[in-house]
Amino acid sequence: MAAEILKTKAEQGFADQFTAGKSALPGAGNAWAEGLRDAAWETYASVGLPHARVEEWKYTDLRRLLSEAYPPAPALAEALNGDDVAKALGSVLAGLECHRLVIVDSQFRPELSDLGGLEGMGDIQSLGDQLSSPADWLKQTLTQITPQQNDTVIALNTALMSGGITLRIGDNVVLDKPVHIVHVVAAKEAASVTLRNVISIGAAAKVCLLESYVSLADTPLQRNAVSELIAGDGSDVQHIKFQNENMDSSHLTSWMTRLGADVTYKAFQFSIGAAVARNQIFVTFAGEGSTSHVSGAVMGRGKQHNDTTMVIDHAVPGCESREFNKLVLDGSARGVVQCKAIVRKHAQKTDGHQMAQALMLSEMAEFDSKPELEIFADDVVCGHGSTSGQVDDELMFYLRARGIPEPQARALLIAAFVGEAIEKVSSEPIREAFRSMSETWLEGEGA
Amino acid sequence: MLEIKNLHVKIAEDDTEILNGIDLTIPKGEVHAIMGPNGSGKSTLAYVLAGKNDYEVTEGSISWNGDDITELDPDERAAAGVFLAFQYPIEIPGVATMTFLRTSMNAVRKARGQDELSTPDFMRVVKAKAKELNIKDDKLKRPLNVGFSGGEKKRQEILQMSLLEPTLCVLDETDSGLDIDALKIVAEGVNALRGPERAMLVITHYQRLLNYIVPDMVHVLSEGKIVRSGGKDLALELEKSGYAEYGEAAA
Ligand SMILES: Nc1ncnc2c1ncn2[C@@H]1O[C@H](COP(=O)(O)OP(=O)(O)OP(=O)(O)O)[C@@H](O)[C@H]1O
Ligand SMILES: [Mg+2]
Repeated sequence: MAAEILKTKAEQGFADQFTAGKSALPGAGNAWAEGLRDAAWETYASVGLPHARVEEWKYTDLRRLLSEAYPPAPALAEALNGDDVAKALGSVLAGLECHRLVIVDSQFRPELSDLGGLEGMGDIQSLGDQLSSPADWLKQTLTQITPQQNDTVIALNTALMSGGITLRIGDNVVLDKPVHIVHVVAAKEAASVTLRNVISIGAAAKVCLLESYVSLADTPLQRNAVSELIAGDGSDVQHIKFQNENMDSSHLTSWMTRLGADVTYKAFQFSIGAAVARNQIFVTFAGEGSTSHVSGAVMGRGKQHNDTTMVIDHAVPGCESREFNKLVLDGSARGVVQCKAIVRKHAQKTDGHQMAQALMLSEMAEFDSKPELEIFADDVVCGHGSTSGQVDDELMFYLRARGIPEPQARALLIAAFVGEAIEKVSSEPIREAFRSMSETWLEGEGA
Repeated sequence: MLEIKNLHVKIAEDDTEILNGIDLTIPKGEVHAIMGPNGSGKSTLAYVLAGKNDYEVTEGSISWNGDDITELDPDERAAAGVFLAFQYPIEIPGVATMTFLRTSMNAVRKARGQDELSTPDFMRVVKAKAKELNIKDDKLKRPLNVGFSGGEKKRQEILQMSLLEPTLCVLDETDSGLDIDALKIVAEGVNALRGPERAMLVITHYQRLLNYIVPDMVHVLSEGKIVRSGGKDLALELEKSGYAEYGEAAA
């Protein structure tokens, strides 16, 4: 009886792209890669873009928010130089001491990257090349990391991915500088960019990864990016994202992370850009004794929509998870935090806690928080909390009684509020960069 | 000179009157103490002097050195020299004490037409004053007042007061929560600020503080009115007799 649901314009657009473009996508001709894409397309096409009646997407109705599908960014992007990349990043992040990998649209651009010092530590390839002659490790990794392959946005990504990188860090490697994966868009016309990064961190390695997503101009962009990450036993991984895409962009990113045993995983996402952003973070504990701390700061104004959705899967005993998100919402911005913690039957001694806090700078701003605990084990400690409020009058009075004028007092308190989230970033230079960018955001307050 | 004339104050949200016609004059160079039972309006008076907008002045006026400050914002009053040491200093998570002190000092200096302090000068003056008040360096590194004991918070208030160099100091129960040694240190800090250009209003429940900070006058506040004024010996008398007599008188 199920009537064929009419495709939206965007859905029709993606369908046309897949049919017409599939033979030109990387990995075409390789049976494994084609098989992956076809299966993913079927998964996606059976349901189409997520909409408000899909529980996980109830606050972010992509059917409504994506009015059309932009064509994929042309494979041979405009000539960009290092200055362009620096400009897109902003001076604070451009100055970061790091190993830098630059991805323009979806193409890895070694000539813009700075990989000095990584020799012998790891291996970096373009995903496109890898898909044409996939190594065994990739076959065992790509789409295998967490159970969220059937999420429609991820399935769409698998079907249409046109680039990205693979990064493998060897066992016991300790990197002294962050690896900064810069995603910059250079397309001159409205474009979509669908890319996939696959990252494997060796046992006992210690790595700080920063993914930044920035725009060079105000060309409208539809981004669908997925990062799959495996953290080997005993590794120590900081996984950080900075998102400042232009206000005509929609930004869909999904992190799928699998942690081995005794891993310390610290994720942080700092989002200030894009008209619509959906940040999905899926963490699966696959080995005992690991810790996952996922935190974030969102600063939104105007009509920005920012949705952070997390699923933390305690599949094994004895792990600790923390999720801590802070949002500053001005104008008629909307912030969403959803976090589902699953504690499987055998995952005893799980210790999980989540907190989401919003500071509302305007009466029109909106905050939705949806914590979910699915606990099947009995010996666990789990909790959640959520708050939302305005700038505290008592604190304001105290600061003003000390001579600090109102706008400055307000900025100080807002900075302090997000500062408590930014503090979670262990890497000092990145933490300070975020602090400084949060202050810059505040200077644009009311502007 | 502080001149409070016929001051009537109500809570802004409802119509509860808290101060019912206060007249009080404190010439420059003098220290006046206010004592009175719980709930008599002492903190309200202090807040109103500092410009808290939970309260509404329905009648009367406050002037400092001839300028009417009744309508000024709290930061404008601070610039004009008013300082309130809070009865319950507030914790501000996420704001580093040094950042706060620096922002505050520079804001006040700017408003008073002085240059901002350079970082080394700022550090020097803060360290020196903190040392006088026996405040350890690690307290300056923490977020403002977060996790401080009651006494430590009170010392921070006096540190801020000596850094901002106000001319009208209002101390709301700065002595409560202080141990005997801290009381002496804080009193020394306050006495160091006494001078011909400064007026002070010291709110306290205990005569003991007034042994260290000797007032020129003592006033008794009861049910939102000053019901008696006298010399420093009035505090000794109150210590013996309590406030019963004033409660009845006002009722
Ligand atoms: N913002 C407010 N909202 C409601 N009631 C208030 C408010 N501020 C003061 N009051 C009331 O006004 C009265 C005076 O309070 P105030 O704090 O000024 O007393 P106080 O003399 O300082 O007392 P204490 O000795 O206990 O410090 C009290 O009854 C108090 O409950
Ligand atoms: Mg009081």
